Amino acid sequence: MTDPSPQNQQTAMIGIGEYRVGSFPMMTIGLGSCIGLTLYDSNLKVGAMVHIMLPDSAGRTDRPGKYADTAIPTLIKELNALGSKNRSLEAKMAGGACMFEYFGANLNIGERNAERVRAILKENHIQLSAEDVGGKVGRSVTFIPGSNGRVSIRRANGTTGEL
Amino acid sequence: MKLSNVQADAIQELGNIGAAHAATTLSQMLGSTVQMSVPAIKAVDISELGTYMGEEQAAMVAFELQGEIQHGGFVIFYITKESAIRLTNTMLGLTDMNRPMNEMDESAIIEVGNIMVSAFLDATAELLGFVMLPSPPALTIDMAHAAMSTLIAGMGEELNEVLLFSTELTCDEHKIDSDIIMMPESSTLAKIVELLENMMKAP
Repeated sequence: MTDPSPQNQQTAMIGIGEYRVGSFPMMTIGLGSCIGLTLYDSNLKVGAMVHIMLPDSAGRTDRPGKYADTAIPTLIKELNALGSKNRSLEAKMAGGACMFEYFGANLNIGERNAERVRAILKENHIQLSAEDVGGKVGRSVTFIPGSNGRVSIRRANGTTGEL
Repeated sequence: MKLSNVQADAIQELGNIGAAHAATTLSQMLGSTVQMSVPAIKAVDISELGTYMGEEQAAMVAFELQGEIQHGGFVIFYITKESAIRLTNTMLGLTDMNRPMNEMDESAIIEVGNIMVSAFLDATAELLGFVMLPSPPALTIDMAHAAMSTLIAGMGEELNEVLLFSTELTCDEHKIDSDIIMMPESSTLAKIVELLENMMKAP
C-alpha cells in the first residue's frame, strides 16, 4: 500500500482495515468504535494513517490494518523503510466511541481499541502526542503530512477540532 | 457465504414479505400511503462500507437477532435525520423542522423502529417457521458509517464482508425516506437459506 501519492494530492480515503503511507493527504470518515491512527515524522515530512477496527488479530495476517496489534508494527516497518526512526515518530488517534449503549458485545470495543493502541505505541517507544477518543459520537479525521502533519477532526455533533 | 441466484431471489422474496408488513405499520402510524422498493441484496467488503454509508446524519434503531439463534446479526431501522424530524413532527403534530431533537423525538423514533422491525420479523418468522426475536432497541443519531461500523465490529474478528438486505420505505406526503436493513451473521444466513430451500423443495 506504499503506492505513490495520488495525482494532484487528492485525499486518499482509508476504509476499515486499510492503511496508507506517504506525504499526501489522507482521511477516514465515520469512525465509531474504530480508531483512526496517524504516525508522522516531522524530519521526513511523511506519515501513515490506518483505520483500525479491533484490538487483537489472534494470529490473522490477511488484513494487517484491521487489528491494533498488527496495524502498528506494519506502519512502523513501512516508515522505517523510508528512513524514519521510532523516536522521531509522533502518533495521534481519534475514535473509540461507544455508539450503542445497549449491546453487550459492542460495549467495550471502542475503549479496548484505544487501550490496545496506547499499549502497543508504548511498547514501540512512540510518543502519543494527542488523542480524541471515547464518548458517544462519530468522528471523521483528516491527516495532512504536508502541513506539519496536521490532524483535524469533525465530529457528528458538528464540532471540529485539531489534534 | 456466496449466494446463488435462486437463493438470492428467495431471500429477496422473504425481505419483500417482511418489509411489506413493516410498511403497513408505518402507513398506519402516519395515516398516509407508504411506498416500498424492491429489496436489494449487497455483499459489502468492510473496507468499502464508506461507499454505501458515509458521514450523513441518520437515526438508526438497531436490534440484535435473538431467539432460536444467539447473536444472529442485526436488523436496523434507518432514517435520515431530516426524515426523522419530519416523522416525529407528523406524529407529535409539530411543524418546526429546525428544532433540536429531544427525548420525545428519540422515544418516538425507537417506538416506530420497534413496531416496524417487530412486524418485519413476525412476518419472516411465520414464513420460515423459525423464530427470530429482536433484542431491546438501541438508538443512535450520528454519522451512518460510525454506527454501522460499530455494529459490524461486534460481529466477530474474522468478518471481512457483510451481506446487507435493505428495503427502502418512503412516504411522499410527508417526505419521509427510511430503510429496513437486515445484516445477518453467517450462520443465521445459512439457516435462512436452508429453510427457504426446503420450502421450495416441498411438494
